[in-house]
Amino acid sequence: MAANSAVRPSLWKQCLRALELELSEQQFNTWIRPLQAEVSDGGLKLLAPNRFVVDWVQENCMDHISLVVGSIPVKLAVGSRRRPPLSAGTVKETPARPTQPLLGSRLNPLFTFKNFVEGKSNQLARAAALQVGENPGLAYNPLFLYGGVGLGKTHLMHAVGNMILEEDPGAKVVYIHSERFVGDMVRGLQHNTIAEFKRSYRSLDALLIDDIQFFAGKQQSQEEFFHTFNALLEGQRQIILTCDRYPKEVSGLEERLKSRFGWGLTVAIEPPEVETSAAILMSKAAVEQHYLPEEVAFFIAQRIRSNVRELEGALRRVIANSRFTGQPITLDFTKEALRDLLALQDKLVTVDNIQRTVAEYFKIRVADLLSKRRSRSVARPRQLAMALTKELTNHSLPEIGDAFGGRDHTTVIHACRRIKSLKETEVRVSEDYGNLLRTLTG
Amino acid sequence: MAQLLLPFPLEPSARFETFVVGKNAALVAHLRSLSDAGYTNSPPLWLWGEPSCGKSHLLQATCAAMLPASAIYLPLKNLPKLVPDVLHGLESLDLVVLDDLDVVVGNPAWEQMLFSLFNALQAEEGKLVCAARCAPAGLNFFLPDLDSRASGAIIYQVTGLIDDHLAIALQTHARFRGIDLPDKSARFLLHRLPRDMGVLCRWLDTLDQASLAVHRKLTVPFIREVLGTSDT
Repeated sequence: MAANSAVRPSLWKQCLRALELELSEQQFNTWIRPLQAEVSDGGLKLLAPNRFVVDWVQENCMDHISLVVGSIPVKLAVGSRRRPPLSAGTVKETPARPTQPLLGSRLNPLFTFKNFVEGKSNQLARAAALQVGENPGLAYNPLFLYGGVGLGKTHLMHAVGNMILEEDPGAKVVYIHSERFVGDMVRGLQHNTIAEFKRSYRSLDALLIDDIQFFAGKQQSQEEFFHTFNALLEGQRQIILTCDRYPKEVSGLEERLKSRFGWGLTVAIEPPEVETSAAILMSKAAVEQHYLPEEVAFFIAQRIRSNVRELEGALRRVIANSRFTGQPITLDFTKEALRDLLALQDKLVTVDNIQRTVAEYFKIRVADLLSKRRSRSVARPRQLAMALTKELTNHSLPEIGDAFGGRDHTTVIHACRRIKSLKETEVRVSEDYGNLLRTLTG
Repeated sequence: MAQLLLPFPLEPSARFETFVVGKNAALVAHLRSLSDAGYTNSPPLWLWGEPSCGKSHLLQATCAAMLPASAIYLPLKNLPKLVPDVLHGLESLDLVVLDDLDVVVGNPAWEQMLFSLFNALQAEEGKLVCAARCAPAGLNFFLPDLDSRASGAIIYQVTGLIDDHLAIALQTHARFRGIDLPDKSARFLLHRLPRDMGVLCRWLDTLDQASLAVHRKLTVPFIREVLGTSDT
């Protein structure tokens, strides 16, 4: 807080003490704690994160604050000492601090190629990204990465951005989430700075936009992005996009955009195999300066199959538990630390649930899975369900055979082998297996 | 349940000092560490547990410990009139605490705003602590992206207190209010009232006011008298 002869820096503390006694604890934590005070123009300026806080404080506390501060003027506004609000949608007054440049790079320096763990599921995407990093604007433009949530699309995107900056520290590289692009554009329209918005985006050397599925249904944003896209591409500037699905499958996105997205290289990232997951865990633990025994890494990787982000969440929890209890990370410690998470999964992963989920997925009845029918439309789902049961539960082969209409354990062995080989030769089977695995363990 | 209105304000009591840790030692240590200036880049935390296990207490204590940094505590169930836009701009704060998140999960408008907030806080290095009745895997999210981010949080189950610890907790709350609550009296209360710290604390306030009014200590006969005259 700046020194001011008229306003004591402790004045706001005094107000806080008075308000703490006046309001309920919840009201104080909800409406008063988010306020940030600063001395400005001989008065007290209170900055709130949004207009809801401003309105509540105005209505319920201003009289009381005035009583404490006496004749000193108090101004209440939306803004922040730490940084200006992200979205202009609710901004009532101009932020107190001068607005930062419209576009900072927003690249996370921790996401690099060096710490991106490569596996079968992501090697194509990594190779493409590396080439783009080495030859921005020339290799693949745009580079379109797609895949389920939490598989490392954003990591790769940042890695390319960081690599471009490493080669050319003066390059204008911006990473932005598609929602923020929309927010910035709305702000540009509201504050009549759309020309500056356009100029900023169209003068970049590389634009990295995450989760473009959030453009769906936002016509004006798509229009603006379309022109930005064209301008950058014409200037041989690099564009990298990520999406949760193949571009043609995003509904609510203009055809001309979908078509342009396909001009460069479109590459998928698949969920990692157990070995890659274990390697990711050990690598992340090393970054956090913790040793993760291999058996623990494999244990977590086998139990948490949905995506890398969730895998990381589990690892962070194990590390946090170890840090705050002072115990080393062992298999038993990990089982205890993840006890509730694993118990929740166990509830989902029962033979009944696997059968129900597989039946729903293939739109057949559970009774069909248990029946003697051997038509392919039933036999393949049955084999998948058996293979999933073998992988996800601790049931023995005879128990699994029993649960599937009293079949012999050799039938289960055959089903597991058949699915293993089909996964390697038929993309469809591999996708079905992956989808079901994620549903059951997510 | 009728409550007596107090003519004077109360000291805040949802602090770490008044939380009986029980089996939640690692969680409490983690939450306390959030106020360390050096603890940056903190991933989101997700607390879950049965009603009345102490989630809201811990969340408010975390908020209170942040001073002089900025923080907000949003109890989504207790403020039903809130609209998703209330999350706008919160990434400018050092800590955002969202209680009863499960009441808005499944609502597309809320999830959209939550997703933006998760991303914005990550970008701005703000800290986020959420609480819900269960872990993310037990909730039906509308947005898979939000589900994934929530599942990537450090998830802690808040374990409720056994009776012995509940009695200690009640006595701690009483001490914080300047009341002497003997062991026998604490157990008497636990046997007759719901094992919900919120309800118990409201009764403490009632008892405190009654004891002040007639200058009597919180003995079992006196408590029985007050409980008998109130609508329990």
